[in-house]
Amino acid sequence: MFTAALASPLFLGAKMRTEKTIEAEIARTPNSKAKAFLKGTLAMMPLTIAVIPWGILAGSFAIEVGLTPIESQAMSAIIFAGAAQLVALGMVKAGIGLWSILITTLLITSRHLLYAMAMRSQISPLSLKWRLTLGFLLTDELFAIANQGKLHKFDPWYALGGGLSFYLGWNLATLLGIIAGNAIDNLGELGLDFAIAATFIALVVPTVKKPSILVCVLVSLTLAVVCAVLDIQAGLLIAALLGMSAGVLYAKVTGEDKPAPKTNTTAIQAEETL
Amino acid sequence: MIWLMIFSMAAVVFISRHLLLEPKLPLRLSKNTQTFLSYSAPAVLTAIFSPIVFVQEGKLDLSLDNSYLICAVVATLLAFVTRNTLLTTVLSMGLFFTIH
Repeated sequence: MFTAALASPLFLGAKMRTEKTIEAEIARTPNSKAKAFLKGTLAMMPLTIAVIPWGILAGSFAIEVGLTPIESQAMSAIIFAGAAQLVALGMVKAGIGLWSILITTLLITSRHLLYAMAMRSQISPLSLKWRLTLGFLLTDELFAIANQGKLHKFDPWYALGGGLSFYLGWNLATLLGIIAGNAIDNLGELGLDFAIAATFIALVVPTVKKPSILVCVLVSLTLAVVCAVLDIQAGLLIAALLGMSAGVLYAKVTGEDKPAPKTNTTAIQAEETL
Repeated sequence: MIWLMIFSMAAVVFISRHLLLEPKLPLRLSKNTQTFLSYSAPAVLTAIFSPIVFVQEGKLDLSLDNSYLICAVVATLLAFVTRNTLLTTVLSMGLFFTIH
């Protein structure tokens, strides 16, 4: 999966940036940090609100599956990955073993490798404390607000504000779900799971910018539905992997990326060379 | 067992988020891997939400009685036209809780 890179000019470039960024970080007044933190919190607010029903679902579903309240809260507090948590809970409920759960988690979370790759030039020059914190908080949502491209200067305090407020929102919503799950029966019938569908549709539709992504989505959708109807446990894995492969294959066969050669990769690498 | 799951899942998630932020790690994703991964978010998210929308009680449900399906179509149209995550989520969920 990985290719080791030699110590290239790319890395020297990153090193020079390192010192500059750290200096800028030290020179800032507490006031401007607080301002950036608040700005990040506000930018994240709509997404923090949208995640509430989903968090409630994560908490109540954990209780329904048979986790204790502490375990249920720990999932949101320690793992902090909504999709992976919900899918894992479904698998626990179906009595599926740990290894299958972990492989599925790896697949669900693999998109974060790409987010980290895209933000590497901005976050890797920061101190270990910052890297660990922002790495832990790096969700779809944080990526959406913090990765504004090269035009905007990356501000770690802005990202921290967004990430931390989202983390709090997610955990408070989970707590609500745990309380509700303990108090109300048949919470499942309310249809809170539609929150997942609504959020994911809202996230997926704007990513469909090329025919190959549409192919990927349609293959994944069809296979996931077929697998669910046939009650195949590895449905998510099968559908997602074949969907991704279909997209890549379609792009290769049609030469889709030829006119504007590999937009994604070029953009990410260009940021690295800066 | 649950605690083991929580900590091992947390490790998998954290490593995938943090790995490529680590400057000392001379790891780079090959172009092919990057291209493959660029399809991961739409594929994974779709594979998670589509059974919720299309499958009710273990069966394919394409009828107008399936409020999940109706509202998912509305959400898709909203997302396509407005490109606004919050608006799409809030309006389609509002509709869902009204008709469900």
